[in-house]
Amino acid sequence: MSDPVLSIRNIEKSFGGIRAVRGVSFDVHKGEVLGLIGPNGSGKSTLFNCILGQLAPDAGEVSVNGRSVAGMRASQMNRLGVGRTFQQLSVFPKMSVLDNIILAGQEHHGTMLSRLFGAPDAGLTGEAERMIAFFRLTHLRDELAGSLSYGQQKLVDAAMAFMAGPSLVLLDEPAGGVNLTMLSHFKERLSAYNAEHGTTFVVIEHNMEFVMSLCTRIIVLAEGAVIAEGSPDEIRANQTVIDAYLGG
Amino acid sequence: MSQFLQVFLSGLATGAVYALVAIGFTLVWQAAQTVNFAQGEFVMVPAFFVLIGMHWLGLSFWVALLFGFAVSIVVLGLLFKKLIVEPILPHGGITLIIATMALGILLKESAKEFYGAEAQPFPAMFPGDQIDVFGAAVSLRDLLNLVISLGIVILLTLFLNRTRTGRCMQATAQNPGVAEILGVDVKRMVLYTFLINAALAALASFLITPVYLAKFSNGETLGLIAFIAAIVGGFNQIRGALVGGLLIGVLDNLTATYVTAQYRAALPLVLLIVIILVRPQGIMGTSEGRAV
Repeated sequence: MSDPVLSIRNIEKSFGGIRAVRGVSFDVHKGEVLGLIGPNGSGKSTLFNCILGQLAPDAGEVSVNGRSVAGMRASQMNRLGVGRTFQQLSVFPKMSVLDNIILAGQEHHGTMLSRLFGAPDAGLTGEAERMIAFFRLTHLRDELAGSLSYGQQKLVDAAMAFMAGPSLVLLDEPAGGVNLTMLSHFKERLSAYNAEHGTTFVVIEHNMEFVMSLCTRIIVLAEGAVIAEGSPDEIRANQTVIDAYLGG
Repeated sequence: MSQFLQVFLSGLATGAVYALVAIGFTLVWQAAQTVNFAQGEFVMVPAFFVLIGMHWLGLSFWVALLFGFAVSIVVLGLLFKKLIVEPILPHGGITLIIATMALGILLKESAKEFYGAEAQPFPAMFPGDQIDVFGAAVSLRDLLNLVISLGIVILLTLFLNRTRTGRCMQATAQNPGVAEILGVDVKRMVLYTFLINAALAALASFLITPVYLAKFSNGETLGLIAFIAAIVGGFNQIRGALVGGLLIGVLDNLTATYVTAQYRAALPLVLLIVIILVRPQGIMGTSEGRAV
């Protein structure tokens, strides 16, 4: 098997007396779509934030493509090839959809001089338009991002995460608040992107139908620890998971 | 008619300088979500840097202007951001606002201690000759002040809208967390904002001090008028600050000439009250929602 794109080793994180993440370890390989599920308070978001450097773990190590990311700022993680989408809406509301997506890719291009005086689109308009078309947002290209519906903004957010050509994308509750029609479209686009580009995804999600149909492997967390790991079918049949999370 | 045109153009010239200072309020608000109540003193101080260059270092006026500009950028941009904004901002916007009030007092009293309470003459960059504009005798200095101020605003707008760095600054203002995750160096963008604010304050200082003379208390009036101009125009819009500045400059001049000069200082305050009652987001501003 190839070297992992993301490697998590013995991550520990406590808040006061509460151990939010307890010695979690796993690898994610190229092209995998890994789901992280678990009840509220199971440590998913804390683990996500430790991976992204937004929280410093008390112990353990996170590596992306073999490189430790300890102490890296979010902007440095982005340059390393890590994209993310957000649970909350995270577009630039006073910019057009096109400008949002160009901006998401432009920091990977050019020198300091070209950033100051070069073309404002960094030569990325064509690529951004292809990304917009991929997510079927062409009719909204020039609309202000802040004027779009919630689901449409989620699609813009995803397009932004992919614009820099990341090797790893972390999706934080992508299905949250999105209506069923839009959700089906969203899932289909994510799967298509994964198939076309071989990009690795790590997904936190509560919508079981969404996560079971999108992910190739699932890790279940409860009280900060891994309680199960396997394919969607294995997880569905796992009695520990049923007892702790899925219910009867 | 010629008198009206004369008063109108003169008001535009003064208002354009107010706009430069008001834009500084807007930029700092967007970058740090705070109000710099030392902004008026930021306009007062650069003139004194120029006088120090001329009187203490023996520089010629134009070289002293460059010296004053450079020192202003370092002191009012870089040092202000590093020594005051960065350490205090994590403790909250209100704390920083109080800190900027204290800074304003410090700058004002320092100028008084260092250079005296008397107004100091300050050379003008342009001659004060009168020229004829459609029958109105208009000061060449006023016209050039207007042209330069508007030129600076246009350049700034082009920079923000037509360069990658400008767009990153806008992205940082709209959503710094997301901008950082997309690879934007948010700290650097915020620094650029403070440097631009310092540059605008210095330029406003060089344009307006020949009229007001260099005095430690100049910042009180300028800061207040520019703050009101930013609110009247719309605190979250650069074009709003421009409109607010020009509007106050023109109305102030017209009121003083055609109504009464006695209450001219009250006019911006009246305008402020009217705007807050009628259109609280300002003429060009947009309402901002905040998550709580």
